[in-house]
Amino acid sequence: MTTNLMPDDRRSLTLRLSAVQYLVAAVFAALAVGFWIFQIAQHEKFKEMAENNQFRRLPLPAPRGVLLDRDGRVLVENQDTRNIAIVREQTKNVGDVLHTLSAATGVPEAQLRDTLNRRRREPSYRPIVLIENATFEQYAAVMARRLELPGIVSEDVPSRRYPASDMAAHLFGYVGEVTEPQLQRVEYKGIEPGSIVGQAGVELAYNKMLMGADGSKTVVINSVGREIKVLESQLPTTGRPLQLTLDADVQKSTEDAFTAAEFNGAAVVLDPRNGEVLAFTSRPAYDPNAFAAGIDRATYGSLVSDPLKPLTNRALQGRFSPGSTFKMAVGLAGLEEGTITPNFTVHCGGGANFYGRNFACWKKGGHGAVNLKTAIEQSCDVYFYTVGNMLGIDRINKWATLLGLGVKSNIELPNELVGLVPSSQWKLETRKEKWYAGETISVSIGQGQVSVTPVSMAVYAATLANGGVRVTPHIVKAADDGTGLKPVPPPPPQSTIEVTPEKLEAIRQGMWGVVNGAGTGGRARIEGKDVCGKTGTAQVISNSGRLIAQAKNKNVDYRDHGWFVFFAPRDNPRIAGVVFLEHGIHGPNAASVARHILATFFAKEDGKPLPPAPTHADLRLDYKDPYARGGGGAAGGGR
Amino acid sequence: MFERRLYFHVDWLLLGAILLLAAVGVAMIYSTTYVTTPVGGHPGTQPMTQMYALGIGLVAMLVCLAIDYRMFAEHSLIVYGGLLLLLIFVLLKGQTQMGGQRWIPIGPFHLQPSEFARISVALILAMYFGENRRGAKNTSDLVVGGVLTIVPLLLIAKQPDLGTAITLLPVFVGVAFLAGLRLRLLAIIAIACLPLGFFGYKFALKDYQRQRIQTFLDPEQDPRGAGYQTIQARVTVGSGGLTGKGFRHGTQGQYKFLPVAHNDFIFSVLAEEQGFIGVLAALGLYLFVILRSLEAARLAKDRLGSYLVGGIISGFAFQVIYNVTMSAGLAPVKGITLPLMSYGGSSLIASLAGFGLILNVRMRRFTN
Repeated sequence: MTTNLMPDDRRSLTLRLSAVQYLVAAVFAALAVGFWIFQIAQHEKFKEMAENNQFRRLPLPAPRGVLLDRDGRVLVENQDTRNIAIVREQTKNVGDVLHTLSAATGVPEAQLRDTLNRRRREPSYRPIVLIENATFEQYAAVMARRLELPGIVSEDVPSRRYPASDMAAHLFGYVGEVTEPQLQRVEYKGIEPGSIVGQAGVELAYNKMLMGADGSKTVVINSVGREIKVLESQLPTTGRPLQLTLDADVQKSTEDAFTAAEFNGAAVVLDPRNGEVLAFTSRPAYDPNAFAAGIDRATYGSLVSDPLKPLTNRALQGRFSPGSTFKMAVGLAGLEEGTITPNFTVHCGGGANFYGRNFACWKKGGHGAVNLKTAIEQSCDVYFYTVGNMLGIDRINKWATLLGLGVKSNIELPNELVGLVPSSQWKLETRKEKWYAGETISVSIGQGQVSVTPVSMAVYAATLANGGVRVTPHIVKAADDGTGLKPVPPPPPQSTIEVTPEKLEAIRQGMWGVVNGAGTGGRARIEGKDVCGKTGTAQVISNSGRLIAQAKNKNVDYRDHGWFVFFAPRDNPRIAGVVFLEHGIHGPNAASVARHILATFFAKEDGKPLPPAPTHADLRLDYKDPYARGGGGAAGGGR
Repeated sequence: MFERRLYFHVDWLLLGAILLLAAVGVAMIYSTTYVTTPVGGHPGTQPMTQMYALGIGLVAMLVCLAIDYRMFAEHSLIVYGGLLLLLIFVLLKGQTQMGGQRWIPIGPFHLQPSEFARISVALILAMYFGENRRGAKNTSDLVVGGVLTIVPLLLIAKQPDLGTAITLLPVFVGVAFLAGLRLRLLAIIAIACLPLGFFGYKFALKDYQRQRIQTFLDPEQDPRGAGYQTIQARVTVGSGGLTGKGFRHGTQGQYKFLPVAHNDFIFSVLAEEQGFIGVLAALGLYLFVILRSLEAARLAKDRLGSYLVGGIISGFAFQVIYNVTMSAGLAPVKGITLPLMSYGGSSLIASLAGFGLILNVRMRRFTN
């Protein structure tokens, strides 16, 4: 039944088989060419792609340097937090994964997507943190649904911890992911996207020192991202510690006193001998821990839109009229310019007329005959109207500036704003108008055009205390250059004036009297410590204007601000500073707050037990709102 | 049955090339499936399984060699019928793995009947055309041959396993061509296939199959999804360079960037680890096997033998060419294994059995 091949068939078959043979050989040759193109011609490109597949450089974030107080107590430290991140290249369907992740963790899907979108331009193998500081429940839920969540990884990273939550929040600042505009800048060269950097306060000012160096490890991974082996690893270098000049006890007393007073505001306390910042606060504050763990949009939004502006550092950025606290600058200018002597006497009849206009003293009946000391002690407006008028604006400007007002303190914290002490040149330059002598009268009692920041007021107090050295406030006491903490020399003073001691003494005597005599700052008195100070009550709006404005909008706070500048002890002062109560109604209320700070400072200095945190009642605050006190003058003056 | 003198006519060169390819396959499978752990590693189970299959395959080869191929041909209808029954059984009761219902569990083994379809179809076509005086010159013969091919093809495509199903076509074309199919007719069939292919693409293909073709044409449109394999195949091959990364030093296959590398993409791994030189060597071996087999077809004593060899080797050549092209990311990803090298018992056994028949034809070229 077999059919042998006939010669005819054989020939045709051979022909066809040869055709097939040539065809196959040709195809194989083409294949060889194809492989040659990939393996030889384009080898470099594919080699790199294969390496990108298998090698991963994973950052090992460095813990930031700790912040210590002047006694070495820890103010700011680090803790490990657990982040949940996504590696997009291991995820085929990112949308599904985000959906499942949202369901597992309770974090809104839109928020996850937002986070991802912000960093979508980064290489797809780099983990992108979706949930910072995940709770254990979230972590457990993610692990339980691991198979449904390809590309989701968890990583432990060091994060910032502020043990005393909002204490000195504006001084410490906060940390956050480096922003796009920051990455463009030279100082941030070498910092990778997603890195945590200081975004405010000391964290920002000393970021470079605190940041340390992130380590990294290069690992071989397989296609599902599992690490096969570590090729090399470079451990992170912890950021260097920084010892601050801050005194945790004095700082706490400041915060406690503000909490008891239930007013917002700011306080800056310095060592007048060298400008070291002992305490620094701005109220209302925020909790920097919220930023450290990655602030959620709701919290951040509420901070930004809060009408009280908790993110604003009032101590550096708040500009307010100094009110009566300005009177020492005018008095010193009069003495130093030879315009007056300490015995120069003015009769106060409750008001005075300058340039055809009546300017009232805050005391309706008048103070009678007052010299410089009593004028400061009693805060007589008419006395300083008179002296200011004799000096003229430019001489006031000169001495206020030398005392630290209307200029930057040049503290090393970022974003300090400058106040204003007007001059004729200033008015000519900004308003294109000449200065009218009548304008000087209001400025003489710290109203009108003049505005100051709390930090500059602290410098003012320190300069009066130390006899004319305008110290530069600073917050770093010691830094680590790699071989341990070494003291950092204080920055040089901004200026030094040769004040005649007798002349300054007259001012100091007045300030001593404010607290220890018949003055307005009696609440700050501490037995045996010779506290010197001056209260100030600064109008937010003129009295008549306030009546109209309040009728329109009852929700806006038009109550006066309260100031208290102080130093102590009178001879050989070791503490100087300012307490500013926003809408604190009266300067004496600020003196009540300052008292607790001073009492704590001296108790510590004397080795006595620190006074307990005051209650609201302890402060005996005066809530009588004097808005109806009338007075037709443009400047009603304060106490 | 096995006469002693036939021993001298066994094509030892062809056999050697085949065994060499199978051995290279086992080595590549060993390399790809090696389990790496942070503290070392150990071989996977696949190389051993492949060795067992190789053993069984050699037995199957011996059987296909020992019995006169004319005996097989005489019973080709029974073989063919058995195949159809198995394919139907698979469709009804088969085991589903990797998206297809292809397997029949037999003890610890899983038989994949579709892999044996090529031999069976080659046998019945060779029988049909070989015992026909007219050859394949007649259109009606062509239709009969076509139907014999299409029936198992559709059954396999239904699993669904389009890749394996398609490999039956070259078997038919190969046999028909050798049997004297007029070139004009071949051209007509090809042209007729164009609209058929279009409608097939439109209506018969499943979504994932259409997607595979689309992503092959533009892999970058979905680099994490369907285009992934194509891109990774190119990376695997391209990163091998001239001399390769060395045995067990490949990264693409070992770390599973290229999925199922030990199976459909074994040639990519070879290209990665052994480089262009290894590719040329392997391609050379395959080319030798194909040309040598075609030689056997030329030497065959009768039409039956010639067509049988032609059919088997056509399917084989098509598989090799398609798989190698796909391994370099130059063809859409289809489940077409690389015969002799890919991991898979049924595939290896069927390939060896096929070569048993080819050796058989050549060996018996002088017998009557």
